[in-house]
Amino acid sequence: MHLGRYILRRLLVIPPMLVGITLLSFVLSHTVPSDPIAANLGDQAAANPVVVAAFRQRWGLDRPLPEQYGIYLWRLVHGDMGVSISTHQPVVMDLKQRLPATVELAIAALVISLVIGVPLGILSAVRRDSAIDQVARSVALVGVAMPVFWLGLVALLIFYARLGWAPSPGQLNPGSPRPPFITGFILVDALLWGRADVAKDALAHLVLPALVLASYSVGVITRMMRGSMLEVLGEDYVRTAHAKGLSRRIVTIRHAARNAALPVVTVVGLSFGALLSGAVITETVFAWTGLGSYAFSSATSLDFQAIMGVGTVVATVYVLVNLLVDVCYAALDPRIRFG
Amino acid sequence: MTNSNGPRLPGAREWSMLTRRDLIRLAGGGVGLALAGSMLPWHTVLAAPADRGTLLVGENINSIRSQDPARTIEAAGMMIHHVTYDTLITFDREDLKTPKPLLATDWKVSNDGLVVTFSIREGVRFVSGNVLTAADVKWSLDRVLNLKANTLFLLDGVEEVIAVNPRTISIRLKAPQPSLIPILSHPGLGILDSKLVMEKGGESGPGANTKDQAEPYLNAHSAGSGPFVLTSYIPAQELVLERNTNYWRRPAQLQRIVFRHVPEPVTQALQVLRGDLDFAMSIGQDQIAPLRRSSSVDVRTSPAATTFYVLMNNNPEVGGPFSNPKVQQAVRYALDYEGIMAIAGPGAVRLPGVIPTLFPGSLNPSDAIKTDRAKAKSLLSEAGLGEVRGKLSYGSDYVSWGISYPLLAQKIQGDLAQVGINLQLDGLPIVTSLAQYRGGRNQVGVWGWAADYPDPSDFLVYAPGRVVGKRAGWLPSASPAAQQLATLADQAEAEIDPRKRVALLQDWERRMAQIGPYAPLFQPAVPYAYRSNVENVSYHSVWEVDLYPIRKT
Repeated sequence: MHLGRYILRRLLVIPPMLVGITLLSFVLSHTVPSDPIAANLGDQAAANPVVVAAFRQRWGLDRPLPEQYGIYLWRLVHGDMGVSISTHQPVVMDLKQRLPATVELAIAALVISLVIGVPLGILSAVRRDSAIDQVARSVALVGVAMPVFWLGLVALLIFYARLGWAPSPGQLNPGSPRPPFITGFILVDALLWGRADVAKDALAHLVLPALVLASYSVGVITRMMRGSMLEVLGEDYVRTAHAKGLSRRIVTIRHAARNAALPVVTVVGLSFGALLSGAVITETVFAWTGLGSYAFSSATSLDFQAIMGVGTVVATVYVLVNLLVDVCYAALDPRIRFG
Repeated sequence: MTNSNGPRLPGAREWSMLTRRDLIRLAGGGVGLALAGSMLPWHTVLAAPADRGTLLVGENINSIRSQDPARTIEAAGMMIHHVTYDTLITFDREDLKTPKPLLATDWKVSNDGLVVTFSIREGVRFVSGNVLTAADVKWSLDRVLNLKANTLFLLDGVEEVIAVNPRTISIRLKAPQPSLIPILSHPGLGILDSKLVMEKGGESGPGANTKDQAEPYLNAHSAGSGPFVLTSYIPAQELVLERNTNYWRRPAQLQRIVFRHVPEPVTQALQVLRGDLDFAMSIGQDQIAPLRRSSSVDVRTSPAATTFYVLMNNNPEVGGPFSNPKVQQAVRYALDYEGIMAIAGPGAVRLPGVIPTLFPGSLNPSDAIKTDRAKAKSLLSEAGLGEVRGKLSYGSDYVSWGISYPLLAQKIQGDLAQVGINLQLDGLPIVTSLAQYRGGRNQVGVWGWAADYPDPSDFLVYAPGRVVGKRAGWLPSASPAAQQLATLADQAEAEIDPRKRVALLQDWERRMAQIGPYAPLFQPAVPYAYRSNVENVSYHSVWEVDLYPIRKT
């Protein structure tokens, strides 16, 4: 099948998938033994039936559940994700303000994971059972096992509070001016604004939370790359390549690593989605107002519109990233055809 | 790559470029965070402190739902509205007892206590330049009445608001209500620029709950007459206030206040310690001691008009053995109050009744029940119920005023086990546990009630048949004594004579302490920290820190 047609087919899956995702989020949110009254009205207000009725009416909670869901879908088709009960502003606006922060963090974390994980996995496999291998396996184990909350706080204590190498938590120094909203990506907006100092500040703030967030995926990618490399290094074609007199570097990088990268690409795709939706703890520790903390506060305040908005965005990103992963397969392995 | 080459100058940030060698090291053999530390090319010295006119505040602003004062009851939101929307009445600094005039210059209560008439201050202008008149006051209060939002309860007793003339406003009450005066200091009752807000879709008449469209405007702009103006608000990220240069009183000392959302107390503490924040608003009890070791940070704990208490359901169907008055009394004697006070932290005060000691009508802390396990055991055997078992409900993720409810619940469980009362911990996420508590479905629970406004009548909610009374399954019909307590609460609420009112409240408190299905624990003290160059800080139980008088040296 032609690549273009394959991509189109995959994109057409998105709308029905979003219906499924929103329906699932909607049903799950309503199974919680509580309701938004408890999360959003004060003690005195919640005790007043007049206020409770006005609240339900304002947020459309007085309608039957199927109707509420139908209204949501109808609005979604028109690009309207409703208004958040928590922020009292359109969910689309909330997402515009939060998503870029998390995407910035997730991309930085992914780059770090790849830059550390892939070479470490290759080295570890090539020099199996050497000191490097032991170190790499320990790093991978620690990365996977370390609780992010603890790691984040310890990293802050050491690199920010004690050594002063890292800047203060947050996306910018508390005293730095915030660039005007253009794309929502602070780094990009600062550059478009013509303020290199603010961009530098934003970049500096990105390093430590990205490292902490990357800790888990570094572990996963290192282990995956190592295992995959060990398997490939034992293949006949690698032995043949060595027999042809090719240098070890060329055999390792061009012949082995390229083929070993296939499963790693899958993991990278999944990791990006996980980084996007699972950054809540890192975001809390580093005062990073992104999608993770939005998802968490939406869930705790039973903010149905926001919960479904986050679900929609994360699911769409997952599909697109996986599509990209599939396309990368073809680039990495010419034998792969779509059909 | 350290910053040892240069002096650690406040305000300076050193930069160096990431070298090719660094990159190769990272790519080739990064060994985790140990290496990551040395890889950080951006080592900071003390971050650029804000200038003397700017206050950088770290706060968990995620709780703020709206910048429309009529929809605000969250403490962080009230702190903002206290300085963006002036009210008729105010209180000085931490005081909760003496109402002071603000937009009202004086007030007069009719002999029957049913009409309160206020003179409105002349020469006050809103930020827009419009002159503030009685029409704005009427419009703002009518809007609260008709929006039917979170703040409606504040005006529950109001029959009608009448603008007598541009400088006089009268409020007609359904019944005498001396608490109206302190209630009018609530930031949710801040006076809005009616002309401007109407232009932006505001509505104050009947049906305002569906017709009013002013909230999006108010979320981005101020329409009040306070010392500060809202200039930017991104929910859960940042909120910026600028000084109102045309303020009718002396302009604020600070030019600008920037609130940054910092949800984690440890992070706030580190930032104020490093000088990246001027003020850490929401630190926890655990951060007090380490911060106190720093000479450049002032740490304070201010009493908060809140009652932490144990609720025992008086409805036998829900409370089971805990609906028995002897068991309730046994619980009060069994608790180790000294240990509980250690959890409450420095500055907390043991409560003998449900009214915080900050209010007139409260009892003396020395009158509080003392731990007496022998007496508790004897009361239990008198009850003759055999083994007493039950469930203790609380918010498993709930921390208020820096105090962890799970920790408190574990302590209570341990204390009661000492006298043979076995409680199973039933911690649930706050959104779920709160719904159960409000629905009167807690057998035993540990909760708190924070003052909504600066008056003891807000704590009459514990009376039979009132908000908390219902949650405890305690209705006036429960017993003649409960009926008497309900009546006494009504009398105290309506009593105009301050002395008689205090006497009624104290009588009510004493009787409540004996037969109420509660074990009052303590009044907390809220911890906060700020750099030593921040001055004139005061903390009010309702609107938290008063930002107006603060200055930086």
